[in-house]
Amino acid sequence: MTNIDQFESVFKAADKKTYEFETIDFERVLVVSDLADDACHEFTSRAETFLAVLEHGDWSPAWRSLGASDFSTVGDMLRCINENDPDLIVSYRNLHFPATEYPYSLGAHLDVLTQVTKTPVLVTPHPDWLRQHPESMQNTQTVMAITDHLTQENHLVSAAAVLTQPEGQLWLTHVEDQGIFERYMQAIARIPSIDTDNAERVLLTQLLKEPADYIESCRTALESLDMNITIASEAVLGRRLNDYKRLIENHKVSLLVMNTKDEQQMAMHGMAYPLTVEMRETPLLLV
Amino acid sequence: MMQNAEAVLAVTEVSWAVTALFGLLLVGLIACLALEEKIHAKKSIIAGVFAIVCLALGAATGVLPFQKVLVGSNEMVEHGEVDGQIVDDDHSVHVHVDSTETETGDEKAGHGENGHAQPVSIGGHRIGMPVYIPGIDWGVIAIILGSSLFVDVTSKSGLFTWIAIRVTKASAGDPLKLLCFYGVMTVLFSAVLNNVTAMIIVGSLTVVSLEKLQQRDKLFGFLMVEGLLTNIGGLLTLISSVPNIIVGGAANISFLTFFLKASPYVTVATVITLALGARMFQVKRLATAKDKEEAKNLVSSFDENDGIESNGFFWFATVMLVLFVLAIAAASVLPMNLNKLGMGFVALSFAGVMLVRYKAVVDDFYRNIDWDLLGFFMALFVVIYVMEHALVLATIGSGVNAVLADVKSSPATVQDSAVLLVGAAVFSSVTDNIPLAAMLANILSSLGVESSSGLWWSIIFGANLGGNLTPIGSASTLVAVTIMHKHKLAISFAGFVKAAIIFAITQILLAVVYVVIFLR
Repeated sequence: MTNIDQFESVFKAADKKTYEFETIDFERVLVVSDLADDACHEFTSRAETFLAVLEHGDWSPAWRSLGASDFSTVGDMLRCINENDPDLIVSYRNLHFPATEYPYSLGAHLDVLTQVTKTPVLVTPHPDWLRQHPESMQNTQTVMAITDHLTQENHLVSAAAVLTQPEGQLWLTHVEDQGIFERYMQAIARIPSIDTDNAERVLLTQLLKEPADYIESCRTALESLDMNITIASEAVLGRRLNDYKRLIENHKVSLLVMNTKDEQQMAMHGMAYPLTVEMRETPLLLV
Repeated sequence: MMQNAEAVLAVTEVSWAVTALFGLLLVGLIACLALEEKIHAKKSIIAGVFAIVCLALGAATGVLPFQKVLVGSNEMVEHGEVDGQIVDDDHSVHVHVDSTETETGDEKAGHGENGHAQPVSIGGHRIGMPVYIPGIDWGVIAIILGSSLFVDVTSKSGLFTWIAIRVTKASAGDPLKLLCFYGVMTVLFSAVLNNVTAMIIVGSLTVVSLEKLQQRDKLFGFLMVEGLLTNIGGLLTLISSVPNIIVGGAANISFLTFFLKASPYVTVATVITLALGARMFQVKRLATAKDKEEAKNLVSSFDENDGIESNGFFWFATVMLVLFVLAIAAASVLPMNLNKLGMGFVALSFAGVMLVRYKAVVDDFYRNIDWDLLGFFMALFVVIYVMEHALVLATIGSGVNAVLADVKSSPATVQDSAVLLVGAAVFSSVTDNIPLAAMLANILSSLGVESSSGLWWSIIFGANLGGNLTPIGSASTLVAVTIMHKHKLAISFAGFVKAAIIFAITQILLAVVYVVIFLR
């Protein structure tokens, strides 16, 4: 190991991204619905039960609701949200979009809402579905933060940690895209100067080591905060959507936390959109 | 390899034209090495081509001694007490009076012209051997091969990166502390490992840590100072640089003597270089508590344990490194004749022990060996061997003798010490210091310079410090420049000289004063 690049690589590998907890206060929660008063109240109660973790002793966040009479257009909705200035928005898929039989989008209102506002949005299953499944959304016992680039996602991990109820389990999950990895390996296999087997082994090891190291620093930092939650982790190579679904189902996740904002595009970040569309029965926190 | 040139003259007739022809070849070799970057050829190829040409011409002009070589003999010095008998070619054991054509590398004659006792070889037998094989100093090759293998395997333990990152953390990210710590680390790594490896390790870390600390504007200054300090650190021990090994070997300077005599200079020169570097490149301490806290947090994210694959091997490598330094230091006083095996044996033995850890994949380490460097040395020794026989070195020696006031004076004269040191520095600044060291060591030997003479130290200091005058003066400054170019820091030949000249002149003047006062 005697050349410049080798030693630079060693030192770069030793420079690890470490987790720092970010304080996130959910003091004002706004429920955004298209429901009539009673139904809106019922949905809000369901959400309050689900997010009981936000209550600390006698203190609980201020809950407010927007119902069918408060807005109809996207513009009106955004104006109402701005006026309330919440720390957390709770809504559901197909808001003002009565086409639940076509599960191909979140609906125009939610599509815009998740991208325009900087406030985290909790997207729950549709109230009709919730009514049919009273056992769902009872607590945040198992929260999973999931991404394809977990390192340096301090905000994502902190939000997930804050929403994990005491004695609950926080899953920190990183799924490296197998399709992209295979594409690169096919290219490497055609380059004579690169040892293909060695490249595959060391590249995969490094790709999974970085999130694993970061998760370890998350565990250390969160344990030092005495949050009384268990940290579990999984860093795997996989076919994105299928493996995300498998992980979510295997671990019986109560709440899935994902990044949705991407400075490079107006659409949702990476796998967030397909997941929000397809994970129709799992509450999602989009930060 | 170091054959007595005057003795060769006594047995070989060489015309002035042949000597001049080979002299031109030597000038050509030196010029090509100086222009190595321009002609895009590795050192081994340059020296190898010249070695081939020299051997072919040496054979054609009859200057090379095509004889069988005496091996397995014992050397005695009581000349006259033993009957002189030439060993027969039938491998029978006889008594043999040493003559120049039978010398075989490590053991050398060379007392004759001083009127001292002539070595006498007893026993042994002659074997056929290619004429260029005895010309190579295998002791030097063994040290370089063994050391580089040992360092390469040891670095796999994560020890050097562990030390480097601990040093970075100890600085708390303060630029001035970082410069001082990295500077001292460069000197110590250069002393224990070699200049090039030291520059690669510290230079790479400098890039990563300064980028992490968002102090990239200081990268040039750091790399310059570190590059210059590699050649200071290269003066600390006998094995720190190849000129030390060659000249120290020729003058019979032990590891411990070398260290004791060179370390005061290295300490002072390091302090001066760091102070000058901090001033020239505006490297200052962080001003506010907030900046200090931020910097400390940034460097704290380095994980020194990341490169350690096995704690057991890490500690084993640490112990072995300490033992290696001790064994090399004690190589000349090892008991049970082990001292006669030399430092090359020590280096190769330690490399062998370390390689056992990777016994199934040792070929990976063999691939990492710097074959260009080893090939260069072997070819260079062959060229110098031919030059000896063509009397080129004797001619240059006459010139050196004419320039110097009294080469045989011990202590050396002030003028000779200073002239030789500055001359060696200037010469090694424009071409490789290894052929210079090999040539001058050979010449001083042939001129009968005493081992205690300060002239040896003049060559050692000049050959090492001359590398700081130009970017091509030493391999380690070339590495520093390579790192600069890799990271888009524009630096021309003239730009380097402009930045380095104050450092180099200060160091050379300090060396002249030091050698003249303390080592002469």
